[in-house]
Amino acid sequence: MDDQLVQFLRRTFADADHVVIEELAVIPGGFSRETYRFDARVTRDGEEQLMPLILRKDPPAMASILKTSRQVEHDLIEAVRAHTTVPVSRSFGYEMDPTVFGEPAMIIQRMHGSGHTSDLFNEGSDADQVDDVIRHLCEMMAELHTTDVTKLNVGGQLSDPRGVGIDTTSWDTYMDSTFEYYISSYPSISYDPAAMVMLDAALTLRRNKPRPLPLVLVHGDFNPANFLYENGRVTALIDWENARVGDPREDLGWMVAMDGMSNTSVMSHPRDEGGFLAYYNKLTGWDITPEELGYFVLFGTSNISVPVVAAVKRRLDGEHQQFLHLYILQPSAATLVAFTQLLGYPGAPA
Amino acid sequence: MNTSPGIDGLIEGVIIGIQNELMPYLSNEKAQATAAMMQSILQGVRQLVPVYDACLIEEHNDMTKTLRVAAEQLHGVAGAEADRIRGRAVTVGQWSDLPTPPAAATVIGAHSELGRALEASISDLDVLQRAGGTGAAAADQALATIRTHLAPRYLRDFQTFSVAGGFLGRG
Repeated sequence: MDDQLVQFLRRTFADADHVVIEELAVIPGGFSRETYRFDARVTRDGEEQLMPLILRKDPPAMASILKTSRQVEHDLIEAVRAHTTVPVSRSFGYEMDPTVFGEPAMIIQRMHGSGHTSDLFNEGSDADQVDDVIRHLCEMMAELHTTDVTKLNVGGQLSDPRGVGIDTTSWDTYMDSTFEYYISSYPSISYDPAAMVMLDAALTLRRNKPRPLPLVLVHGDFNPANFLYENGRVTALIDWENARVGDPREDLGWMVAMDGMSNTSVMSHPRDEGGFLAYYNKLTGWDITPEELGYFVLFGTSNISVPVVAAVKRRLDGEHQQFLHLYILQPSAATLVAFTQLLGYPGAPA
Repeated sequence: MNTSPGIDGLIEGVIIGIQNELMPYLSNEKAQATAAMMQSILQGVRQLVPVYDACLIEEHNDMTKTLRVAAEQLHGVAGAEADRIRGRAVTVGQWSDLPTPPAAATVIGAHSELGRALEASISDLDVLQRAGGTGAAAADQALATIRTHLAPRYLRDFQTFSVAGGFLGRG
């Protein structure tokens, strides 16, 4: 792969005299993309620059969890860099021709900071930083959600990035078209009748639409593992591939869900502000209630669940053999219990 | 409980995962042999699981009978050993036979079909709820009945299948 990387970077840095790739290695834990870290030594006019980089590559189509475009992700993160102070890796471009890297791919800057976010929680080695890091994380999310969406939705590519008929003309059309997406997708995710709580959730969401908020750019996978930190500050928000236009409460709801699945407590911080939701409300003025948050735990989780569980079903149907897709069923058991709680199932744990 | 994947599907998935996602990266011969042994044990478990309960019950019922017959064959024999064998025949040897469980495939098939019936009922109830009127109130009650059945199932699945530690492999 070194040769392909060199050729890509030679095209990207047309003024470079020499490019050398070093330390190419797989990064574990990227669930939806295959990620590799490497260093590029780029020489221009006799001066060498060391560039820490990441190759983000699509998995094989059949095993793909989120079918998204590296070109759209490139355009987005460059727009986020241009129009916000949210820390995000610079993108050096994309290669959509699968013959080059095996699948479509992009190359981004490798940001500094720790990705071991679990060290912030449960008396981990960085627990002393947790309030400051999560305060900054909340500020980043509030800024993202209050940035003019037209500046970030380059060419309208993020209005319906999955191409499933989402209509972002208004908040109502967005919600209604999303309900239809969830409900019509159910046969593709119903790997077992025990998945029926997800159907119940989609139908219940449609029957109980909450008050509108402005449509914004949502990160789409805002969870306790998708940021880097250092010295009490977030150094990067990562994994933007599921970003799209949506309701800002979706990001918060998905964080609540993933907090539970990940054995972390992002939503309890910063403590001096009364937790993540209280501080976010203070920053945005949206006064999101816990009840609304519960609604969007279901809504936001459903948005991720459709493609993820569809990939699980393809695994169980024998269309591919990726182990991760089987493993997902185990931590997901907690999510299904959370669904019963949020839907008010009689006898569900409080 | 899920029937898809069932226990067999989960174990088969681990065997395949070891083959495709671990073994190609094991450079140590001892580790390769250990991985192959793990696959062998797991394959053995796959073969055991569907017949395990039925075998235990069949053997249970045959053991009580065997204890009784063996004691009968010592008729007229004196001594402490023979007395102990006769004693076993009139104690544990008298235990009632256990019922043979239905074949796993039968249970799984019926369970799955009933689950699909509940699933379809949730969709039908939604139509009634959105139509409004008295039918909607009745549909609310019927949905609550289905939810009452489901809630302890999801909780039990979680308590039975989950392992503490969160989502492994992330941050």
